[in-house]
Amino acid sequence: MRALRRDLSIYLSIFGMTPKVFMAYQLWFWIGLVLNTIGMAILVFFWRAVYADTDSVAALSLQQTLTYILLAQIFFPLTDVDLIFDFGFNLREGNIIHFLLRPINFQGMYYVQNLSSLMMRLILQIPIAVVATLLFGLQWPTDPATWGAFAVSALLGFTALFFFHWFLACLTFYTTEVWGLGVLIFGMSLFLSGSLVPLTMMPGWLQTVVLSIPFAQAIAVPVSLLTGITPLIQAPLVWLTQLAWVTGMWLVSALFFRVAVRKVTVQGG
Amino acid sequence: MSVIEVENLTKVFKIPQKDPGLGGAIKGLFAPRFQSKTAVDRINFRLDRGEIVGYIGVNGAGKSTTIKMLTGVLMPTGGSIRVLGRDPHRQRIDNAREIGVVFGQRTQLWWDLALIESLNLIARMYDVPPARYKQMLDEFSQTLDLGSLLKVPVRNMSLGQKMRSELAAALIHEPKVVYLDEPTIGLDLIVKERIRDFIKAECGSKGMTVMLTTHDLGDIEQLCRRVIIIDEGRVIYDGPIETIKKKFGKFREITFETTGLVPSLSLPPGCELLSTGDRKVTLRFDRIQTTASQVASAVMKQIEVRDFSLSEPDLANIVKQIYNGALDNGGVEPEAADARPAP
Repeated sequence: MRALRRDLSIYLSIFGMTPKVFMAYQLWFWIGLVLNTIGMAILVFFWRAVYADTDSVAALSLQQTLTYILLAQIFFPLTDVDLIFDFGFNLREGNIIHFLLRPINFQGMYYVQNLSSLMMRLILQIPIAVVATLLFGLQWPTDPATWGAFAVSALLGFTALFFFHWFLACLTFYTTEVWGLGVLIFGMSLFLSGSLVPLTMMPGWLQTVVLSIPFAQAIAVPVSLLTGITPLIQAPLVWLTQLAWVTGMWLVSALFFRVAVRKVTVQGG
Repeated sequence: MSVIEVENLTKVFKIPQKDPGLGGAIKGLFAPRFQSKTAVDRINFRLDRGEIVGYIGVNGAGKSTTIKMLTGVLMPTGGSIRVLGRDPHRQRIDNAREIGVVFGQRTQLWWDLALIESLNLIARMYDVPPARYKQMLDEFSQTLDLGSLLKVPVRNMSLGQKMRSELAAALIHEPKVVYLDEPTIGLDLIVKERIRDFIKAECGSKGMTVMLTTHDLGDIEQLCRRVIIIDEGRVIYDGPIETIKKKFGKFREITFETTGLVPSLSLPPGCELLSTGDRKVTLRFDRIQTTASQVASAVMKQIEVRDFSLSEPDLANIVKQIYNGALDNGGVEPEAADARPAP
């Protein structure tokens, strides 16, 4: 019990530390704001062009699609787990040694860091949300139950995705080369998370593929709940499915890490 | 019971072999080739409580690999390690609670945050009681002169300031075992002295077992009574530093830069001329027969000196001489466990 209290206290401290690291680089905030606004504008004009000659695509109106796309952009940090490049960098620089020397569960420490980082990124998305509302007419859901269902789903989806990325990042212990894998996963995540195209617009077979891998759990699934594309009544089933993803991915990633960590080499003396 | 017990410890790395050019890269994809490199080769030693042991060798000798296995980060290919009765790799987290580590070439502190933030978190991680933490922080602020650094982000620190901060981070939880991997690398003489004094006082007074790797024989001379020399992954000497000092440490070289041409010099006993050049002269002296100041004084009386520098015996040269049997008559066999001095 004492050990659990101690670990929780450490995790809380790590959680509080990450925002301070974030604040160290204020310039990125402004660059991110400009780039995200441009990206969002491109998507809005693209979807308006798609709907130029039709009222609905895959039973979604233009307004529904735009609401989904804009919310998916605002909550994009849910998919922004950067473990592959992070592991690769720390292995190449030899910094991995200090993470492994901490008297705390390595995966737990990273999860808390990423969760804290997610909170910061979401807070930093507020200006994007304002831009989406004022410039692109985003209509926000108002039902608190919908927001509650979304919050639970988003946390579960993010956690499942974290463990999935952890599993992939452990491959870098064997390859020590991360660029190719990192870019591949980023590209897959961008498309298969549903942040560019709602899942319902994808062909049936692709939807099956997308729902068989965890990317969509962090964006498409929670944002579909938020926009009403998935009815609120289905929320418990959605959560259960996501919980199964979390459990499965946690087991696989933790087991793989135990094996992969034996392969660690620390570069540079 | 020894604090650290190492038996037949071996680490073999598999290094990928790549042919040059695009063809080589493609070939490597389909038929990767590896070469085995034995970094640590069946080494044995034991360290008792309170011992400060120098673990030295030339670059690539296997020092850092040994330390990384002792900390539990690397898994040995063969042999066994017990640190405070634990297997460091299998019980990595439990082992981590009892050890402190400084790697001179990398930082364990949070780069973008003020030092105090890192220390706070480290103290929390190691479960240091708040009152004790405050006491340690006050102590380190004095001994390591950290007071003015506590609010400075690590990335804004000089090398010497960083190393003082690293030592505080490694020792704030008063570990039983401390690994110092080149803690004085790149530091100037004054900072080196300060860090040596700190290590001696802090680790000595608390009975910490310290394993120190360094290329600086001055570190070893001032801190250690026992030294283990490793070369190509094998222990070639394990015994008192005195033996090494007597055999190899009695000579120093001193080089003078002069304002004019160097005439023939009259030198004190135990001092000989090694080389002369244009406005430069290098002498070697026996430290038992004379001192650096006597040599410097004698030379300065005869010529005008612009600058001078002292150099330690070269480690690579010592290793070479040990291989050539320099210690054969010294009565110390490599890996002789009973040759260890009492802590």
